Amino acid sequence: MSFLAPAAFVFAAAIPVVILFYLLKRKRVVKLVSSTLLWQQFLAETQASAPFQKLRKNWLLILQILLLLLVVLALSRPYFAAKTQPAQLRVVILDASASMQATDETPSRFEKARAEALKWVDSLANNDQMVILQAGANTEVKQSATSEKAALRRALQACACSDGPTRLVAALRMAESLVRDQRGAEIHLFSDGAVPELTEFDNKGLPLVYHRIGKSSDNIGITALDVRANPEDAHQRAIYTSVANFSTNTVQTELELLLDDRLLETRPLSIPAGETSPQVFLAGQSSDGVFTLRLKGKDDLAVDNQASIVSLLPKPIKVLLVSRGNRLLEKALRSVANVELATSSDLTDPAIGFDFVVLDGVTPVVWPQVNVLAFHVVNTNWIPEVMHLDGPPIVDWRSTHPLLRYAGFDNVQVAESLGAKTPSWAVSLVDSPQAPLILAGELGRQRIIWVGFDVLESNWPLRVSFPIFIANAAEWLNPANAKGGQLLVKAGDAFRLMLLRVEKEAQMTLPGGQVKMLKLDPSANELVFAETYRQGIYRVRLGTNETTFCVDLLDAAESNIKPREELQLGKYSKIAATTRQRTNTELWRSIASLGLLVLLIEWWYYHRRTV
Amino acid sequence: MPESLLTSEMLRRLEQFQLLAARRAKSSAKGERRSRARGQSVEFADYRTYVQGDDFRYLDWNLYGRLERLFLKLYEEERELPVRMFLDASESMTFGTPRKFDFARQVAAALGYVALCGFDRVSVIPFPASPNDTQSDAGARSAQLAARVALRAVRGKKSGIQFFQNLNTLTAGGAATLNETLRRGALEARQSGLAVVLSDFLDPAGYESGLNALIGRGFQVDIVQILSPEELSPTTFGDLRLVDSENGAMQEVTFGRYRMKAYQQTVQNFIQRLREFCQARGINFFSVSSNMSLEDLLLKQLRKAEVWA
Repeated sequence: MSFLAPAAFVFAAAIPVVILFYLLKRKRVVKLVSSTLLWQQFLAETQASAPFQKLRKNWLLILQILLLLLVVLALSRPYFAAKTQPAQLRVVILDASASMQATDETPSRFEKARAEALKWVDSLANNDQMVILQAGANTEVKQSATSEKAALRRALQACACSDGPTRLVAALRMAESLVRDQRGAEIHLFSDGAVPELTEFDNKGLPLVYHRIGKSSDNIGITALDVRANPEDAHQRAIYTSVANFSTNTVQTELELLLDDRLLETRPLSIPAGETSPQVFLAGQSSDGVFTLRLKGKDDLAVDNQASIVSLLPKPIKVLLVSRGNRLLEKALRSVANVELATSSDLTDPAIGFDFVVLDGVTPVVWPQVNVLAFHVVNTNWIPEVMHLDGPPIVDWRSTHPLLRYAGFDNVQVAESLGAKTPSWAVSLVDSPQAPLILAGELGRQRIIWVGFDVLESNWPLRVSFPIFIANAAEWLNPANAKGGQLLVKAGDAFRLMLLRVEKEAQMTLPGGQVKMLKLDPSANELVFAETYRQGIYRVRLGTNETTFCVDLLDAAESNIKPREELQLGKYSKIAATTRQRTNTELWRSIASLGLLVLLIEWWYYHRRTV
Repeated sequence: MPESLLTSEMLRRLEQFQLLAARRAKSSAKGERRSRARGQSVEFADYRTYVQGDDFRYLDWNLYGRLERLFLKLYEEERELPVRMFLDASESMTFGTPRKFDFARQVAAALGYVALCGFDRVSVIPFPASPNDTQSDAGARSAQLAARVALRAVRGKKSGIQFFQNLNTLTAGGAATLNETLRRGALEARQSGLAVVLSDFLDPAGYESGLNALIGRGFQVDIVQILSPEELSPTTFGDLRLVDSENGAMQEVTFGRYRMKAYQQTVQNFIQRLREFCQARGINFFSVSSNMSLEDLLLKQLRKAEVWA
């Protein structure tokens, strides 16, 4: 047996009160009378001699009937079906993003939202069902459709606010799929509306009820953070950040820069309302470390007042060029900053020790196990089928890929090339009508860029795009970079770490200091850690190697905690915040309490009237 | 205890009354009451044929002149009416404002005075026979006993003052012995007559056998039941432990204003039972409250019921 409302056991506290009543002694007044004869007859006559007597007006009777009526009324569980039509299904989306931690509601927006949602659970009619979704960086189904209120309450209690951004679209999509074809179904969104634009979500008919949580927008936050070598002084590091003021007043504050908990600089800031102040810090750094930016002062949202970033000192990139002589390529490689270039005419070992290998038309005896930039080389492990193309025109290239950043193929002609069908591990970067000419991708633990043609068989080396492509390739193929880019994770996003060796387990140290052991699949080539709910510095230990990564909010949409009056859905539809309070309010608790009160009054009256 | 039981105005008015007895007096003593006995008086009763030895003085010579036969004129013998008053002097009579006992003594005084004025013999029998020994004073006790003895037979209007004084000396106390007193009174009486019972009738033993004994002995019985206002409608409410003044019995009762009607109904039922008992036996019954005006009872109710005229 279980209880729908275990909280009602609090009413058991009334039992000692009743016992107390019985403990109270009735004090009788002793009185001398002439004779008790008449009294004896009186008692004998008033005692029930007949089973029935005439119904007389008696306040005790009226009170008892009132009590009974209240109990019956409470058992019938009345409610006010005031403003809503009965809904068969209600999908509750609880926004659990960072902005819900704002303390403009007491104790926080999230707790307020949870309390509101709990009220809606209470008001759920008997046959109606409810689904609880928690929308943070990921959407979690906390409770599938049920009408069991205890389970719904438990699910709501189990929801927890994270430091991540809101990905409301995913939650709405899920909710939409749940309510599709359900008559009368409603989606209840408990949120402050501090969400990215929902323009990609276009559903005019969505039965969305938006419960706005939150009052004010008093917040400043760090919305961007990056660290690089100072372009003007390679020995220094430049930390780029921007601080946004989302409150309605100009804010005076101080921004602190710390390196591994050591205070480096404090900078006073004055940011007008609604403005963003970009800041650049320059700092020397002798070893790898973590830069932390901290905003002094108090505002409604604390989570965005601090951000950390891992800064690794640049290491020289070791590159092996295997070529029969290609001065243009060699020159392009040497011009890339920080590159230590070695050349060879052939490759007889897996080239471990180099960061990547450039194969220029040479088919190696032993294929390298490190990252590879291959020109005009056929490896059937990579590309099962290679065709020969004569003067293939370049018709398209993927300019969004990091390898082709600033590198266009507008006036590049190729005399002769190998063409390949795009294998599953790679994406095509440059296309001719017949086949892709350049492919890039990851095969196993290797990053591979395959260029189908010999650069000397084209006019590409004469174009500006060539050295840029080489520089991009050096950056993309550098395993340190591949790692470094992932050392800053937005809260709620997964942290991924390439595994260079087979590891059985990893030890993850969370910002709070807790240690978590992660079991790794021997066949996995990367470590994926998705529980980045809290911002801060995480450390993962793999064997003897320790890697530090930072989880930050860095989301202007989240930091702008101004409660939105309406949500823009798609281009045209808007959902205004509802003023609707919970409906179908159940009254039985109040009635039961009233009944208890009547019971006490009855006792009091019974004792009073005899005096 | 009031100084004088009856005011002089009341006495003056009472002198005009005469006790009415439905039955002929059976007393052996001469009085002013008509009796079945034939004797010497001015009231003619009957004729009787002369037999030898009759007194010639009572022959009707006029009749002899017409019929030439001797007839004797018979006259009614006028005799006294014995009036016995049973006065309840138990503890329960000391309750009420004014006290029930005082009211009972006033009624007894009035009835007694009327009887004395009519040359009737009055005897007052207080019960219980001996009051409990609350009076430690020996003098008061002997005065009490003397008064009780003196009240057993009073005759003549001249004895009125003494009669009132003796009544005034009586005190109340002890448990009521109504049945026993009435039965003994019926047995002791040499002649029946008028019996007046002045009591609250709140005797757990009841009253039936005593009254039946009086009726059986041939008494004409008048009953005045005296209850106090507190008994008719109590003024104390709440959780009570009531103590009986006569036998000390305890009775726990929870009494509120809402039960007042029920209580009054009980009292009325009690009175009604007594009344019906009396009506069935030709007893004059009066139920009064001790705060009732004495004149109303004496000058109106008793007259209306033809106790006196």
